Amino acid sequence: MSAQQQISTTQGTPEDRQRVDALQRLTRRLHVRNNIASAILAIATGLGALLFFVIIIKLLVDGVPYIINPNFYGADGTGVVGPQIFNTLYLLVFSEIILIPIALSAAIYLVEYARQGPLVTIIHFAAETLAGVPSLVLGLFGYLVFSSVLGFGLSRLSGILTLLCLNFPVALRLFEDALVSVAREQREGGLALGSSKWHMIRTVVLPSALPGIITGVVLSAGKVIAEAAALIFTVGSANPSNVYTLNPMISTDNLTIHIWFLKTVARSVRIRMFTRSIYDQY
Amino acid sequence: MAANSVNAEAVKDTRSKRTRRSRFSDQVAHGVFLVCAILIVAIIFGIFIFLGFNGLRMFQDPAAKNFFTSTNWAPTDDVPSYGALGFILGSVVTTLLSTIIVTPLAFAMALYMTEMAPRWVNTLLRPVLEVFTGMPSVVIGFLGLIVLVPWLTKLAAPIAPSAANAGVGWGAATVILVIMILPTVVSVSIDALNAVPESVREASLALGSTRWQMMKNAVLPAASAGLATAVVLGMTRAIGEALAVGMVLQGDTHLPDGPFSLGWFFQPNINITNAILNYFSEASGTERNGYFMLGFVLLIISFLFICLSRYIASRSVYK
Repeated sequence: MSAQQQISTTQGTPEDRQRVDALQRLTRRLHVRNNIASAILAIATGLGALLFFVIIIKLLVDGVPYIINPNFYGADGTGVVGPQIFNTLYLLVFSEIILIPIALSAAIYLVEYARQGPLVTIIHFAAETLAGVPSLVLGLFGYLVFSSVLGFGLSRLSGILTLLCLNFPVALRLFEDALVSVAREQREGGLALGSSKWHMIRTVVLPSALPGIITGVVLSAGKVIAEAAALIFTVGSANPSNVYTLNPMISTDNLTIHIWFLKTVARSVRIRMFTRSIYDQY
Repeated sequence: MAANSVNAEAVKDTRSKRTRRSRFSDQVAHGVFLVCAILIVAIIFGIFIFLGFNGLRMFQDPAAKNFFTSTNWAPTDDVPSYGALGFILGSVVTTLLSTIIVTPLAFAMALYMTEMAPRWVNTLLRPVLEVFTGMPSVVIGFLGLIVLVPWLTKLAAPIAPSAANAGVGWGAATVILVIMILPTVVSVSIDALNAVPESVREASLALGSTRWQMMKNAVLPAASAGLATAVVLGMTRAIGEALAVGMVLQGDTHLPDGPFSLGWFFQPNINITNAILNYFSEASGTERNGYFMLGFVLLIISFLFICLSRYIASRSVYK
């Protein structure tokens, strides 16, 4: 900058000097704009990050005293969530047990067997659409199909099957990514040794894709734990006297439903009655 | 000699048996996998058929004719009325408003994080974004109820029709939705920006543009399809959000009285998911089919959003 100035003042006609001045003004303006824009971007990011951190800190500050208190996990009484945690884990374990083989099979079909064509396009489109269906709508669907048509009523089983619908597309995509990342050479090596395709998948592809598959399982587990809207009309929102059983036909709640239930008490009486009445029918 | 040939025969026999068995198991596996893959298509068709069938059945009742034209939802009156326009309006208003707030904020965050931020910002913020993408909506709703609502009540009391209820309604719901969809939109936008090849940036900088000019004139246009997909995905999430929004809406079945004003945002109000959550469980007959119809409307809207995002994504240059 200073070198330019020197040049422009020591030598050159007035027009040249004018041009250099104009260029300098332009540069300065662009730099000012650049700085303003950068500052705005940084401030926006800071605000967004602040929002997230405030929420996390608020949750930690208000939550940790309870988390480290063993009475919080008691079986019954007010202000304890032992049954809810058990139900959440129950739904988590059993929905994963159903989800993993089905989603993995579908992913294997799409990656290893299917040829590119209309069928694969349709399946991918269906998966994408299913991933975008609001979970409350899935809850209504689960209520219609699993609770009414198949007659499971409000039960853990209906909830598990609804969670399968909810998580299928997510798990499918993650499993597909895991399988695709296995190198082609490894597959060809397996096939060249004379193994059948299924044998090759079992012994070569699945072990190499295991880390990706575990990632998929963990991510879909997070979705199960967080889910509530799809479960209110399928699992219910009230507990029977003893929830610590493996019986899949009882109606229970889980942690997220419990939070919602407690914070909307005024209206929830109706839903509790509804849960009870349906529960008594079956 | 003879014994040898018998032996070879036996070996050949077991070999072909084994081949046959493995081929058979291969075919069985193939079939099972195919069925699992088809299952996902069956599920989505089932959702459309079951909800559509049950929802559209409400139009057998002549009183349901005003479903899309009236805002009067009074299924238990002597002359029942099934006008759902108020619910749909609630969902549309909160979704659009939160999208309008989120879009510039998310793009700014994504631009900063991909183009300018020092590395520690990314290592700090990426995990936080992931945590919030999977945050249970109930937790956000709960925080909204105990932190945001009292705060908004104080803030908005002068313009709200009822000072005690000023904190709940569309205003609070919009803020909740912003918190819910911001992480999703930011993450997808970051992916879109990262997909723009480095050569585009270098070319722009080599022509003498400042950082901001480079972002504005080269990176953003190149990533526009991906950014649009991010916004549409955020809208899909926002329109279907149920519990968190329901907790801070607290409306019954009616829009606020009087003409549309700012006060509408700061009093108990309604949307589609809130109506289904609160009233579906005790409904029967046409009213119940009405809630299925509301669910079907949600389904159609999110389906259109998905089609839109697919269309946009198919036009993107960098993936």
